Amino acid sequence: MIIAENVRMHFRRGPFRRQIHALDDLSLEVRDGDFFALVGQNGAGKSTAMYCFLGLVQPTSGKVEVMGRAPYLGSPLYEGVAYLPEEPHYHLYLTVEEATRYYASLYRKRVSDKTIHDSLERLGLAEFKSLPLSKCSKGMKQKVGIAQCLIHETHLLFLDEPTRGLDPLAVRDFRETLREIHQRGATIVMNSHVLSEIEMLANRVAIIDHGKVVAQDDLSNLLTLNRELYSVAIEANGAVPDYLASVERLGNLVKGSIPKERLYDFMEYTRSCGLLVHECSLKKISLEDSFFNIVKGGASPGSSA
Amino acid sequence: MAELLKANFLTNLTYYRRSRLLLAFMIVFLCLTGLESLPIFFSGSGVQIFNALHQIFSTLNEFLLVFAAGLGLFVISSHLRSRSLKMVFTKPCPPALWLAAAFASAVGVSLLLNTVILGSALVVSLVWHVPVRAGLLFVSLDNSVASVGLIAYLMLLATLVHPAIAVTFAVIFNADMFYSVYTWTLAVVRSGNSSATMRFLNGIFHYLYLILPMVHAVGRKTESVYTSLRVVRGDWKYLLYSLGYVLVLSAFCYTMALFALQRKKHI
Repeated sequence: MIIAENVRMHFRRGPFRRQIHALDDLSLEVRDGDFFALVGQNGAGKSTAMYCFLGLVQPTSGKVEVMGRAPYLGSPLYEGVAYLPEEPHYHLYLTVEEATRYYASLYRKRVSDKTIHDSLERLGLAEFKSLPLSKCSKGMKQKVGIAQCLIHETHLLFLDEPTRGLDPLAVRDFRETLREIHQRGATIVMNSHVLSEIEMLANRVAIIDHGKVVAQDDLSNLLTLNRELYSVAIEANGAVPDYLASVERLGNLVKGSIPKERLYDFMEYTRSCGLLVHECSLKKISLEDSFFNIVKGGASPGSSA
Repeated sequence: MAELLKANFLTNLTYYRRSRLLLAFMIVFLCLTGLESLPIFFSGSGVQIFNALHQIFSTLNEFLLVFAAGLGLFVISSHLRSRSLKMVFTKPCPPALWLAAAFASAVGVSLLLNTVILGSALVVSLVWHVPVRAGLLFVSLDNSVASVGLIAYLMLLATLVHPAIAVTFAVIFNADMFYSVYTWTLAVVRSGNSSATMRFLNGIFHYLYLILPMVHAVGRKTESVYTSLRVVRGDWKYLLYSLGYVLVLSAFCYTMALFALQRKKHI
């Protein structure tokens, strides 16, 4: 669906035209039907990568292909593409309804009043339809952006920090909508700092650091990247082995973690002592831990495109 | 294609309708024109009324040229500065189409205002029994044509630079300005100062005069129509010459503006 190969993007900024390397040899692949998340620190190059995929900027070098074609401004390939920008840079002089209708009409498809009304109703914007966007709150503008994304059937959805400024209820509804769209077969590319949200939605993740993809894998692989520890829970009244770390006692239930190389020692220990084992599984880590390990700790990622 | 043009055209009309800057500009100018027209109500003779009406008509037409330039400038610069074009260009709407719709909407508003001014002048002339001259129509048409060229020029400048710089550039770099400087240096050279620097400057100003856009391409030929509002048969061809010049200028400005718009980073 999307292929980026050795993409470099350099900007010149400031009074001395200092060169900034926004993307540095970025390579990644988004497959058809993926819910793909771009993760990284501020300024890592996530949004710039998305701008390249959308043709809003042309890379200094390298290749970008979206649905087999190079993207450019107003390309016909955008007929099945929707984009929700990070900042609400909308036509602020239009009302909520006018903006939704205008953006929908740019898809060269006829949009009925009912479709517009239903879309606004679904996002709780119907009562504010006559309000100019310049007077809307950030969350309401974000909802207008979401409405224009969802009004047509899309094959590819680009979301740049989609839940920023939304209330918790709207976040949950939006998450459900994204799941529905993804289940219908759409490919979704999302930038977000909310790692827990990515963990809930995405099936593939690319971690970007200083304009480079430092890890790109299925989410499940990234979550078990640290395969060094086992999580265990046993019934024991007395002493526990000294290699059992992070011990937590709940009555006679003891929870903790053991190093991978001590797994067989642990099994032998429980067998010889006749202890009841409640749990013994590869310790799962959160995406946040994984992200931190890769970006800060230099853990070697499984970069399988 | 037509649907896209229509959607963008109507949205830009909404922008004009709600632009407070344009509204303020219009109100200030209409107030000034209103003050200027006060003497009409105290004039007794038909000649005085005619002269006053002629004066107001000329002032309104000049205002309309400035306003038309503002239409072209603001529609581009406000969309570029608000970065809202990324919402348009990430849909199957190419920059060429958006720019064409922006140009068409500015021209549409300008033509509408020209028609309103011409209509008002005709009505007032009939009501106050002032002779209606063909010059009213001629000046109005010539002004409409000139405003199309100005819109295109300011649109181009707005895609290239900050609106304040665009206005400064348009005020300084226009053919009328360099024609004045050219005739002055020419007079100096002919009066005996034939220094190399002066001849060089004279040449430079001459070429700048030829290259830079003109507001009224055949202004010197139609000067008499503007002053007397009388049109002779041979004058109408100058309207066609103006139209031809403006079409070429607009095509050039549109192409360059499109090139600039496509090269910009809409992020």
